[in-house]
Amino acid sequence: MDVTLILLALFSTVGLVFTYLAVVEKDLVKAVIFSAIQSTAYVAVLYLLRAPDIVLVYLPVAVGLYPAAILFLIGKTEKVEEK
Amino acid sequence: MDTSFIERFLIVLTLYNLLVTAAISLYGIVARPSITKKIISLTILGDSLNVLAILIGFRVFSVPPVLLKLDANPDELLNLAYSAVDPLPQALVLTAIVIGLAVNLFLIFLALQVYRLYGTLDSRKIKELRG
Amino acid sequence: MRKYIVLLSIVLTTSVLAYITTYLEAIGLVGLDTRYLAKLFLTLAYNPLARELTVLSPEAVTSIVWDFRGIDTFYETVVFYMAIIAALAIYRGVGYPSIRSEKGLSIIVKVVTKLLIPINIAIAVSVAAHGHLTPGGGFQAGAALAVISVLLAVVFSASSFARVGVSLSKAIALRTVGLLAIAAVVFVPVVFNALTGVQAYLMQNYVKVDSEFAFPTHIQSQLISGTLIWFNLAEFLAVSFGFFVVFMLLSLREDVVREQLGEEHGH
Repeated sequence: MDVTLILLALFSTVGLVFTYLAVVEKDLVKAVIFSAIQSTAYVAVLYLLRAPDIVLVYLPVAVGLYPAAILFLIGKTEKVEEK
Repeated sequence: MDTSFIERFLIVLTLYNLLVTAAISLYGIVARPSITKKIISLTILGDSLNVLAILIGFRVFSVPPVLLKLDANPDELLNLAYSAVDPLPQALVLTAIVIGLAVNLFLIFLALQVYRLYGTLDSRKIKELRG
Repeated sequence: MRKYIVLLSIVLTTSVLAYITTYLEAIGLVGLDTRYLAKLFLTLAYNPLARELTVLSPEAVTSIVWDFRGIDTFYETVVFYMAIIAALAIYRGVGYPSIRSEKGLSIIVKVVTKLLIPINIAIAVSVAAHGHLTPGGGFQAGAALAVISVLLAVVFSASSFARVGVSLSKAIALRTVGLLAIAAVVFVPVVFNALTGVQAYLMQNYVKVDSEFAFPTHIQSQLISGTLIWFNLAEFLAVSFGFFVVFMLLSLREDVVREQLGEEHGH
């Protein structure tokens, strides 16, 4: 039994849960943080899938640059999603 | 249940996790009113589909597609070919991630411009306004 | 409460679907084989025995990105370039150095960041220069270096770009140099053909069946895999400074931008 597969299923489930939380969250700053946690789970998934190239490009892009750019956008516009 | 069935179940579970993640983020793009939330959902959609593409090239008990020594003999080359994961989806996803970031940054600039012109990022309010 | 019921049902749905598909595959109703192409790429990436087919790079992913499917990557770089031009078009007429002194974060964060930035640059250059040997390459290094632009904007405030010597026009020029360098490496075999008459193809890297043209594969017995190292370094420039441009513009204060964009942008 390969422990890789258990971790793979686990981390992809973490990504799924935090995607849902990010999509339903009203506070946009919290939504960005949930999205960053989902990205961190995906970094683990990509590492387990034996894709070191993608880990190297995905880690700065999805954990660093995306949240930074969206936080810049939120800082200049609205902080809360109205219902 | 034997071990191989559980192994395949775990891989297919990962596959469906990614597909449902893509579905939830699609819901976020279509149904949430805030343009910022739409952009967050779009980044998650791109991420999940990229990981899905790499999962297709994955094999159990494999190694990364990198040759570890330069004086490898033909047997070792064949060994790599039989044991490594598929490099083609990785190469395609590599460029897709960087270009996806550039395109999403362009969308962020557009959203900023929308806020400058309309004073709101709520797509329902923008619809009521006349530009 | 309703949130958690929805979450639980979503997680259950994936598990049930996974079980059904695994069962169908086990009894032989679903199945795919895509290994043929993968084996081809993996055996040919570094294979001195197949002289006319190999790339001479032990990294299969970089070989595909810049040799087997090199034209794709070239056009994807052009798409990247156009996306950033589109972003720049929205900010047309906005000059950068109009910002006076802004504070930024506390002195502790600033000192730690000052120590981190040289390490970050070293890692980015190393990832770009070893892209043909180990996992890495131009795209990865460019993304790693772009993190510095966010650090500068957040920790030191937007006015720090001018202090470290990166102006908007300089960043735009450097990313154009990156793209032009890629184009130059693409056209070297064609120019060689015109000058000497030896058969050579556009974007050729190593010897082909009817063409003896090859880029130098080693510098003093160090493997550089022909065009791959040059493509990686040029792509590194194009990607990192492309993102520098965007994050420099994003970090501008909103009142400064509105002032420069003119009256019609107020609401």
